[in-house]
Amino acid sequence: MKKYSLILITLVLLAFTSCDDFLDRPSLTEMNDETYWSSENNLRLFANGFYENYFVGYNSSWSSSYTPLRSYYFSDDFTSRGKQGGFETQAPSSRASTSSTPSMMTTYAGPSWNFSWVRKSNLFLERIENMDAGILTEDAQNHWKAVARFFRGYEYSRLVSVFGDVPYYGSVVADTEQDILYKDRDDRTEVMDKVYEDFEYVLANMRLSDGDAQYLNRYTAAGFISRFMLFEGTWQKYHLNNTDKASKYLQMAVDAAAIVMESGKYSFSSDFRSLFGSQDLAGNPEVIMYRHYDAALGVTHTVASYSNITEGQGTAANLALAKAFICTDAKPYQLSSVENADKLDIQNMVATRDPRFEATFWDTPKKESATLLYADKFIDRVGPTYYGSGYPPMYGSNTNTNDAPVMRLAEVVLNWIEAKAELATMGGAAVTQADIDASINAIRERPLDDVAIEKGITKTAPLLLSALPDDPARDTDVPALIWEIRRERRMEFVYEHSRLLDIKRWNKIDYMRASENPDIMRGLWIDFQSEFPEWLVAEKEGVLRVENENGTIVTYDGTNAAEMVGYFVPESIAERDEFTDRVYLAPVGNAQISEYTDKGYTLSQTPGWN
Amino acid sequence: MKKGLLFILFLCMGIMVFAQKRQISGVIREESTNEPLPGVSVLEKGTTNGVVTNIDGQYQITVSANATIKVSFIGMEPQEVVVGDASTYNFSLKPSSEELDEVVVVGYGIQKKTNLTGAVASVNTKELEARPIPDVGRGLQGLTPGLNVVVPSGEVGSDPILKIRGQLASFEGGTAPLILLDNVEIPSIQLVNPDDIASISVLKDAASASIYGAKGAFGVILITTKKGASTESVNISYSANLSFQNISKKIEMGGVEALEYSILAAERVGATATGAFWKVTRDSYERAAQWEEQWGDVVKPGDPMLYGRDWYVDANGYKLGLRTYDPYDYMIEEWTPSQQHNLSVNGKTGKTDFNIGFGYLDQNGMMKTAKEDDFKRYNGSIKVGTEVNSWLKVHGGSIFSKRVKRYPFATASTTADPWLYLYRWSPIYPLTTEEGDPIRSPVSEVAQANTAFQETNYTSMNGGFVITPVDDWNINFDYTYANQEYINRRPGTRYTARNSWSSALPKYDESGSRIYVNNAGEQVASTADGAMEAYELNLLTYTGVGANPDRIYRIAQNKKWSTINLNTTYDLTLDEIHKFNFMAGMNRVAYDVASNWSQKTELIDYNNPQFDLATGTQTAGGSEAWESQLGFFGRINYSLKDKYLLEANLRYDGTSKFPTDLQWRWFPSFSAGWRVSEEEWMKNLQPVLSSLKLRGSWGTIGDQTVNNSLYIPTMSGGYNNWIIGGSKLYDFGTPASVAAAITWQDITTLDLGFDARFIDNKLGVSFDWYQRDTENMIVPQEGLPTTYGTSAPKGNFGSLRTNGFELQLDYNHRFRNGLGLNVVATVADAKTKITKYGSTQVVDSWYVGKTYGEIWGYETDRLYQADDFVYENGELVTVTSSDDRNVYQLADPNAPTQGYLQSGNFMFGPGDVKFKDLNGDGVINDGSRLLDDHGDLKKIGNSTPRYEYSFRINTDYKGFDFSVFLQGVGKRDVWGNGFFAIPGFNASDGAMPEAMATDFWREDRTDAFYPRPYNLANSNNKLNLVSQSRYLLDMSYLRIKNITFGYTLPAQLVEKASLSSLRVYVSLENFLTFDNLRDLPIDPEEIAGYSMWNSSNYNLSRTGIGTPTFKSASIGLQLNF
Repeated sequence: MKKYSLILITLVLLAFTSCDDFLDRPSLTEMNDETYWSSENNLRLFANGFYENYFVGYNSSWSSSYTPLRSYYFSDDFTSRGKQGGFETQAPSSRASTSSTPSMMTTYAGPSWNFSWVRKSNLFLERIENMDAGILTEDAQNHWKAVARFFRGYEYSRLVSVFGDVPYYGSVVADTEQDILYKDRDDRTEVMDKVYEDFEYVLANMRLSDGDAQYLNRYTAAGFISRFMLFEGTWQKYHLNNTDKASKYLQMAVDAAAIVMESGKYSFSSDFRSLFGSQDLAGNPEVIMYRHYDAALGVTHTVASYSNITEGQGTAANLALAKAFICTDAKPYQLSSVENADKLDIQNMVATRDPRFEATFWDTPKKESATLLYADKFIDRVGPTYYGSGYPPMYGSNTNTNDAPVMRLAEVVLNWIEAKAELATMGGAAVTQADIDASINAIRERPLDDVAIEKGITKTAPLLLSALPDDPARDTDVPALIWEIRRERRMEFVYEHSRLLDIKRWNKIDYMRASENPDIMRGLWIDFQSEFPEWLVAEKEGVLRVENENGTIVTYDGTNAAEMVGYFVPESIAERDEFTDRVYLAPVGNAQISEYTDKGYTLSQTPGWN
Repeated sequence: MKKGLLFILFLCMGIMVFAQKRQISGVIREESTNEPLPGVSVLEKGTTNGVVTNIDGQYQITVSANATIKVSFIGMEPQEVVVGDASTYNFSLKPSSEELDEVVVVGYGIQKKTNLTGAVASVNTKELEARPIPDVGRGLQGLTPGLNVVVPSGEVGSDPILKIRGQLASFEGGTAPLILLDNVEIPSIQLVNPDDIASISVLKDAASASIYGAKGAFGVILITTKKGASTESVNISYSANLSFQNISKKIEMGGVEALEYSILAAERVGATATGAFWKVTRDSYERAAQWEEQWGDVVKPGDPMLYGRDWYVDANGYKLGLRTYDPYDYMIEEWTPSQQHNLSVNGKTGKTDFNIGFGYLDQNGMMKTAKEDDFKRYNGSIKVGTEVNSWLKVHGGSIFSKRVKRYPFATASTTADPWLYLYRWSPIYPLTTEEGDPIRSPVSEVAQANTAFQETNYTSMNGGFVITPVDDWNINFDYTYANQEYINRRPGTRYTARNSWSSALPKYDESGSRIYVNNAGEQVASTADGAMEAYELNLLTYTGVGANPDRIYRIAQNKKWSTINLNTTYDLTLDEIHKFNFMAGMNRVAYDVASNWSQKTELIDYNNPQFDLATGTQTAGGSEAWESQLGFFGRINYSLKDKYLLEANLRYDGTSKFPTDLQWRWFPSFSAGWRVSEEEWMKNLQPVLSSLKLRGSWGTIGDQTVNNSLYIPTMSGGYNNWIIGGSKLYDFGTPASVAAAITWQDITTLDLGFDARFIDNKLGVSFDWYQRDTENMIVPQEGLPTTYGTSAPKGNFGSLRTNGFELQLDYNHRFRNGLGLNVVATVADAKTKITKYGSTQVVDSWYVGKTYGEIWGYETDRLYQADDFVYENGELVTVTSSDDRNVYQLADPNAPTQGYLQSGNFMFGPGDVKFKDLNGDGVINDGSRLLDDHGDLKKIGNSTPRYEYSFRINTDYKGFDFSVFLQGVGKRDVWGNGFFAIPGFNASDGAMPEAMATDFWREDRTDAFYPRPYNLANSNNKLNLVSQSRYLLDMSYLRIKNITFGYTLPAQLVEKASLSSLRVYVSLENFLTFDNLRDLPIDPEEIAGYSMWNSSNYNLSRTGIGTPTFKSASIGLQLNF
């Protein structure tokens, strides 16, 4: 008996230890890089990981990076109460990230010092290149390579827009390649030449359609390419005076935009407000790509709530922006013959300006806005009617579900016409009336919605090359046509991605100085007694101010209600801190520079920063 | 059964009546002093016949012939003698030297304490009894030097954090000790019923823990449960405890003073109003101060909020609050009850012994408005063993533990739960009601939240046998299967309340006319003096249909362990002086975990959230993981003349965590001891030096408590928030950068120590010094810049070293009058340094030589005062500093400039912090933050707890016992985060402790501790509050952990009630804490960002924000049948 037991135990022991695979327990719930790249569908699943980062739209939940209103509020278009937000005053202690959550620096309208997306697209590209022909047809391989190169180009475009020179990596860098990892910044033009090559490939190889129209295709890519190439082309021209490179990039902007425009797939047959307030942008012919929201799927945003006329707009549109709106006779207000065009109060501006003014702003002064001019652009026409009662979730809090346009035809044609006009100044073909008709005038022909029609809003007359307005406010160094193109952009993209980047690439950051541009310190014209008597109260004595027609600041003292007529002076307004041209480009962090020093390498600081 | 036993006893006594009786007497003295001992019990063995000695130590007793009498006294070694012919029997009692015979449970065996050579501490389980603590872990705090226990919050049902010897043994590994219940790993010390425990050993050094191999690298807590009795008997015991809990440190928040801070911070940067949903303006602040005078004592917490009196809407449409609310009044329930009951039956009948235990714990949390906030635990255990024959013993057992926590499901977020919001917003955020409706706040959401529960059911079945083929040879086999089921059900709701987050609405009466009120909140005619148009908050259901938390969620998870322990031991004694013990064995553990969850949105019935009663989107998911370890081991113990002791261990370990070719490794360890006092030449030191043993050990253990795919470039999938075609996109993420060769981390410990006892064993000293090296530590590869584009791959690239010591002193004495005294004091310390980590010299990274936990910062000089600056026309003058920054001109041209530390619109001025120019270069900066260039930075503190100490005194006298237990940490610093620690952390949101709100710099309060108000906009490390010496939190503390007063009823009395013993007690737990936190509402034990819900970023890692810790007062009883 004893012996049998002993034998039994020995057997048990052996039985357990002889299983070779007892210690073989790989992860059950994750894919492995070495085996993942086995089908085209897996490529698509990997590519899906780029969408949230690059096609942000209104972002999601409370996240605000890269969203209109919530993140793009720093430019000469907007003014807050009190002291104006400034640029950073010195290099940060650290500026680095490997996070893949979209994150944006407001004063640069772009990403932080982050190379994780560069690595991701490089890795994607390398894996695609290594895939067997048996798995992937050549066409498919070319398409997916184009996808990877598009995202790489996208990332470098925006890194360059923020930092200028950046180290360029065209492949995944191994941890052993210290000299490459620690290399100093490459010249921005070299970097953008690489981006150019990527984009050339994209425009030649990306599929025109990749199934559902919402998947990245050549038209969407071309839209973005026109944006980035316009940026770099004009930067090269206005900052570096490099006409060769400027022409090269601008030509690609034109070509890319032309792919979209000539496709015949997109048109201006939607009213302006519907582009931003619709619950579903599918089928909107102006929209090339949009981000869809759905409460049932838990994907919602906050942007509509900040546009619902109850939520405060602490940074709001100023007089400078309002003045830039063209009158319906296609002339600036100083030259316009539209009745009351020179009256710069809200009511008259709504009536006399391009319909986008009415579609962008609430038509009476709102105390919820720092300037009394309230932007209700990113909500449908119904949402604001809940003012004074409670808002349903789709209009309040972080539960909004209106779709966000990610790329739309208006931007493409404006990129196109601006690039053409800039090329024309550098020896390119002159802009023709047909070009203007295909771009600016096509936008101006957009249908009006019922609300606007009911208010008697009319479309703006076409811009005629033969009758280019000579805006008295025009900068002398800007030709009249380019001035009008820039104006069109400004009206079109209020609170969207472009304004800060535009004035940077045009070398016009001075617009953000009140000394050069005093209108940024003022709201619209207002007669408090007739338009906004609820502020003629004791509480506002000593606080409420206007600048009257003589340029005198009048402060409400309880007895001078009748004198409270003039440009609104936002409460306690004070100019932003003085800044220099270094703010065009962001400094890198001191810690990053130290990190290079620690290893015997050098990371150059952005010029002007210490 | 008890009656039956009594009957048998009675029969026996009846028989004895016929036996011959004789009287004996004598004196009982204490051996060393020869003093007579009163109160000594003298008992005729096997009977109830007994007497007690008188004041002169004399006794007299009548016993039967050939009886055995037993003399016993607490604290003394009992003696027995068989009564012969003599009539006088005198005794000399020695103090009990439990030490000498005490055995300690060690790895796969027991060892006489005197023969221990490793650093093993055995916990006196008596110290765990009679304390109102819900689990063993909390009870272990301060009991053993080197075992660090932290109770980071008062969340009921949460685990304390246990660590052995230092805070960090590895970056990647667990650092948590292995907790074994009868040699089988358990997932939480919570599941053990404290009453089931027979012994607890803490294996601290490598030599003693190495036998447990792969998971024991950071020490082992070895818990052994009670077995059946060793002699024929049945014993029943019952204990109960009823306690009442209250918050241990009151949270004092600033009221009107906090509003003042907010408005001053706003005005400093040119703003006139500040706040998110509610604003503060100069006007509203001044009116709030008036409110405090006029209404502060009249309006009680919970009184409804009235427009006109408590708040108003200004012309900007801002909501402005005048009344301040203290979250404490609304959220904290005081003196919540808890109870605990334990019942056990233990005995032996024939060849079978058994132990059965039951436990019940019901503990209430302190969330006042919650429907349910409690924790219950049910324990059951059974253990049976039987001798089948002379060489085979079979045993089996089972443990069941059910833990149920119920709590309000207010949000699924663990980074922003109700506590975060409660202590985020300014005190004007209303927490009460308006017009009878709740107002949106954490208080009202918790009140409306449905009750979530999480249930953890642990069941283990164990069986095994011991074969003894020949004497001194044992073969032990033991198999345990354990299953832990975890269920978490989170029933949602939609919140309806007066929405204090959105704009106020004009208030109308039923006929649609605007309501007017006066400044007392009373409705008046529109023409009345001081009449104002009234507003109200919008009453609505403010969470969306299907939006969080309108959903029901449930997760079920199973963790399964299958453990085989097989070992064999052989004792060999040669020539009486060479004693060997051989042990060889194997240990095999397979573990797997699987879970699945489902969720459905859009509930139909908010009172009864059910999957079948929901109509929205269904989602589901799940996960699976597995791992295994296999180890073979051997041990030899050798003792020469019981004086020279040697032990050697060898273990061959394999794990599933590493690539196949790197899975297996050998790990040796050795220890030796020398019982110096057994040497002849030491004998003349007796009794002053009763015993002395020197010990030393060295050993290496492999650690593999890391993720099993560190070497695999994994890609994980998940839905993102981009929708195409009606569904979310599924994506696979970028593969991580990995190093292909990852293997065991080696934990090597050198331990030197001694145990000594003095003065007849009354005074004991035990000391250990150790050095623990973690080599081949898995760390991220050093030196990869941001351009690498991802986190650095991990590999065995680093090393660190922990040095520390542990000292324990104890003293036992019983005075002649019967007063017993037992004092135990401990102190322990550990310090960890990086010994290998690339070549970096950056002070913020793990440079070689860095002490773990060190905090770098500036040295604070003082606050700037007005006369430090130059003025022109009463205005500060801006100049360009030597380092090219715009600064206010200082009066002293040689004073260092601080422009480098400025940013945004902040410039250092009066009331701001002035730093010391440590390197004397005239500029305050941090250089390159490199070791050889760190400007004016220095090491200002360390966040690891140092010099942990405890002190316990137990006394007893004639049945009364009294004990006090103190525990503390000598040094710990924390650079805080969030509202409780950083003044102005977010002056716009507004919450601020009273201690800050009443002590910040103003022109009329220039001696303040905190600087002039400024809004740091959620930063805890910039401008005035850049890491520095002055505002470093001193987290050292001394806590009166427990005071117990008990009374054991006299045996004669309780016997009448058929009891063998009965003790009643009152106990105060955590009652007093002494800290150095300047009245900030921070518990000194708290760990920012840690809770049972999220161990890394709970409530955004804000210091002190979470469930407050509590103290309790309790009464209890313990009885034995």
